Amino acid sequence: MAADRTPPPRIVCAGLAKTWEGGLAALRPTNLTFEAGQTTALVGPSGCGKSTLLRMIAGLETPSAGTVLIDGQPPAQLLRAAGLSVAFQDPSLLPWRTVRGNIELALSLARRPVDRQAIDDLIAMVGLAGFADTRPAELSGGMRQRAAIARALATEPRLLLLDEPFGAVDEITRQQLAEDLPGLWEARGTTTILVTHSVTEAVMLSDRVIVLSPRPAEVVADIAIPLPRPRFAQDARSAEFGQLADQVVAALSLGRARHDGPLAAQ
Amino acid sequence: MMAAWRDLPVVRPGDGRVTLIGLLLLLLGWEALARSLADTYLLAGPVQILRYLMEERALMARALTATLGNALAGFVIGNLAAILLAAVALVWPRSQRIVTGVALVVFCLPLVATGPILRVIFGPGDGPQIVLAALAVYYTTLIPLLVGLRAAPSGWLDLIQSYGRGRLATLVHVRLRVSLPYLFAGLQIAAPAALLGAMVGEFTGAERGLGVLTVRAMRGLEVEMTWALATVATLVAVLAYLGIGGLARMVLRDAPPILLAPPRASLPFGTGALRRLGSAAGVLMAVLVLWWGGIAALGLNPFFAKGPQDVLATLITDSDAAATRSLLAQAMAETLILLLPGYLAGLAVGAGCAVLFSLMTVVAGVVMPLAIALRSVPIVTTAPLVVLLLGRGATGTITLVAIMVFFPTLVACLHGLRQAPGQVMDVFDSYGASSMQRLIRVRIPAMLPALFAAARMAVPAAVLAVTVVEWLATGLGIGTLMARAASVSDYNLLWSVVALVATLSALGYAAVGAVETRVLRRYAPEQLA
Repeated sequence: MAADRTPPPRIVCAGLAKTWEGGLAALRPTNLTFEAGQTTALVGPSGCGKSTLLRMIAGLETPSAGTVLIDGQPPAQLLRAAGLSVAFQDPSLLPWRTVRGNIELALSLARRPVDRQAIDDLIAMVGLAGFADTRPAELSGGMRQRAAIARALATEPRLLLLDEPFGAVDEITRQQLAEDLPGLWEARGTTTILVTHSVTEAVMLSDRVIVLSPRPAEVVADIAIPLPRPRFAQDARSAEFGQLADQVVAALSLGRARHDGPLAAQ
Repeated sequence: MMAAWRDLPVVRPGDGRVTLIGLLLLLLGWEALARSLADTYLLAGPVQILRYLMEERALMARALTATLGNALAGFVIGNLAAILLAAVALVWPRSQRIVTGVALVVFCLPLVATGPILRVIFGPGDGPQIVLAALAVYYTTLIPLLVGLRAAPSGWLDLIQSYGRGRLATLVHVRLRVSLPYLFAGLQIAAPAALLGAMVGEFTGAERGLGVLTVRAMRGLEVEMTWALATVATLVAVLAYLGIGGLARMVLRDAPPILLAPPRASLPFGTGALRRLGSAAGVLMAVLVLWWGGIAALGLNPFFAKGPQDVLATLITDSDAAATRSLLAQAMAETLILLLPGYLAGLAVGAGCAVLFSLMTVVAGVVMPLAIALRSVPIVTTAPLVVLLLGRGATGTITLVAIMVFFPTLVACLHGLRQAPGQVMDVFDSYGASSMQRLIRVRIPAMLPALFAAARMAVPAAVLAVTVVEWLATGLGIGTLMARAASVSDYNLLWSVVALVATLSALGYAAVGAVETRVLRRYAPEQLA
């Protein structure tokens, strides 16, 4: 599909922090690098500031301190070139447009040509074949999320940000997507950052899992996932996979303990 | 009983059999009452009215055509003005407080006085009717439109932004479409209001139109004609209301939200006392500049076009200013003594009926669509009927004001009562609470935001009602003072009354709005976000 691909970007967050108006800290000063072409999962408890981190990388939120540099440029640069896609937690489909209409809107916003066949292929890939001309109100929550994923992929972004994109998707479809999607963004050369609650999903999809503590978030662990690709649903039963998942779970409890520690001592 | 309440279907206007049954009952009761009162010459029944309309169809058709033409022109101009003002506020958000503030003051101008002033400016012809129709509609379109333009979920705005596109793309792809239902809701309220504006314009001395015939019928005590005219005005208003609703359903594939009272324009900036004072001063300045500048720019004759400086002289510095002030104070007292009881009675009876109907599910099903349809009736155009039935004394005036306030309040409160959250009701059920306890602790609090929104909008409506009755019938109060000042060409006095009434109505509206904010903070904090 892609013609002239610029290589996927490398993202460097330096001293990145967010404090909300009113003094609530969402993210402690954090240094993180997301390597070009890799898929990184951000895992952490609810409300820990993962989504805030993602939104700052997307340039949708202004950091209170520190910087985000995408190939040495501020996020606005990539935004302007429409090289970014976000699949939001809330599918954010426009209700008056069909699934196809929503995807076409994204293409026209990103100033990309509309290729009907490519759109149909994408819709089929996320398991929505036959629903191209359906409006969001007639789809289930999971189907809407899949439509949002198809929309995010349609513009062939260099940087793909996925904010809990499978929350409402049923288990079987989720497994199918987890098998299919990485191949797609690998083939295109995409840097992907995925926010998720699910340890299995994080290990399954990523080259690297970063575990964050409860709010205000800080990095508890940075775990490489050297499993070979392509990965399939049954791989999750392998010993190697189990070991990696256990590491992530252990890091999550460590983060919780560190966070609760000072409170418990009071 | 509880389950029955919650299962109550959402009744929409024009929604089928229930409405039809209610309408038939109403007609039958009306006819029966008219027949039993046949020798009192007060009430004409449906059959009698129909016969009259058939006999005088040429006259009626001519009048209706004239009025509809003016109402339509005013409708178009007023709504275009609203859209333009909304665009200004959208492009330049900091101007929103000033725009809505000035819009409110202009909306509060007493039509009874602006009518004669416009008449001398325009001379004979359709000008005043069209302007009054436009003035009657633009505010109720502007406020929902402003709300609609800001109503898009933040996720949709993020989406546009994530593709590197700005405010223009957001406007084109999201905001315009999101604001459409709000625009239609505003237009739906505007359609009957335009008819009202045109008719009040005709009261001020036009050559033809329903308003002209109304005045003639009243002067000649022609019972059949009075009732026939009120019926025609009512029917046309309801049809216009339903017609716009139908158009909205075609365009939106969905009924527009029923707008109980124009929502509060949510302002993008804080609401501190200092800021509020600042914006009040800003509104005052803008009004004065527009007033003074408008007269200068249009080159109006200073004999009838009085500026702020003339009003100030009339009220404060002239040798007979004290006499003028006491004249105004006396007229204002006469008006307030009838306005306040009518206003409060309308609110109380409206809210009371809503609570009562809510306890009787079936009645609510019949009443709701009827009330929604009747709410669209420009009550003021039926003023002659109230005068006919209740006389020219205090009762008639108070009743008309109360009716004017009653229908919007009833509809808003019935809707508000339905907002009682089902899960909270379940909790009360699980403790075996009595229906009285549920009513007092859950439903009435849930109704309060709607009640206050209605109370706010009812302020200018009540002022309009009271001044029209005084002017047409009772010979008392501020309405009569305005009519008298117009007839003897005392334009200094007339403009002073206009300034005073507009200021007081706007302040009254703001005062109810302030109480509303306190109530919302406690009972519906999400509406203040």
